[in-house]
Amino acid sequence: MDGVDDPGAPRGNAVPRWREDFPVRWDDDNYMTRRELAKFLTLGSGLLASASLLVAFIGLTRQPPAAPVRRIAGVGGLAPGESLEFRYPTDDDPCIVVRDASGRFDAYSQVCTHLSCAVVHEPALRALACPCHKGLFATADGRPLAGPPTRRLPRIVLDRRGDDLFAIGIEV
Amino acid sequence: METRQQGLTLFSAVLVLIALLVVIQLWLLAAALDALLAREIGVLAPTAVASVVLFAMSGGLLSYVVAFDARLRLWGRRE
Repeated sequence: MDGVDDPGAPRGNAVPRWREDFPVRWDDDNYMTRRELAKFLTLGSGLLASASLLVAFIGLTRQPPAAPVRRIAGVGGLAPGESLEFRYPTDDDPCIVVRDASGRFDAYSQVCTHLSCAVVHEPALRALACPCHKGLFATADGRPLAGPPTRRLPRIVLDRRGDDLFAIGIEV
Repeated sequence: METRQQGLTLFSAVLVLIALLVVIQLWLLAAALDALLAREIGVLAPTAVASVVLFAMSGGLLSYVVAFDARLRLWGRRE
């Protein structure tokens, strides 16, 4: 292309203009980026190890909160096959008590162990169902029956005192 | 004498190994968190120890390539 000035062409011993924008050779660039990435990944590895240690520390040192005694309902207020929602151990912890056909009471945390949606009683299935992702828990023992949950629902320990039903603790 | 080309191959191999160890650590952390929520306390200490061991392995691999890099630079200066 006669008469056309190539802006990237070297002039004498001058460095080509493109070299100013890309000063590192391709091989050297690969070498440096891989070295830096190895350092970065090792830093991430250290952070993950620290996080695992922190989780272990929390798990080994944290004491479960003291379980208060709280009245849930009168026994007569819940017919067989029915359920009742209540709060335990604090007003921010939704729970559900279910009375099965034989008259037995079972109570669980209402918070699904998958992604914390509230489970609801399904008397026909004798299960607690999570409407978010179709999770299903047995009302007899709270174990997961279907859907994504893998951990059972925390059980609320009940105590029947006369005609009243009390929550006295949590079994995870 | 080590060359840059050898270093490039070595870094690639070490990168793959460290990335593999980091993925295992991620899996261990997820398992530890799940165990913490389920109050399965017995799982926590072994996962933490395993994660620290994997970190030590990552550190060992990194120190090896850093030493390799230092030798390479030394040779480069002598030439």
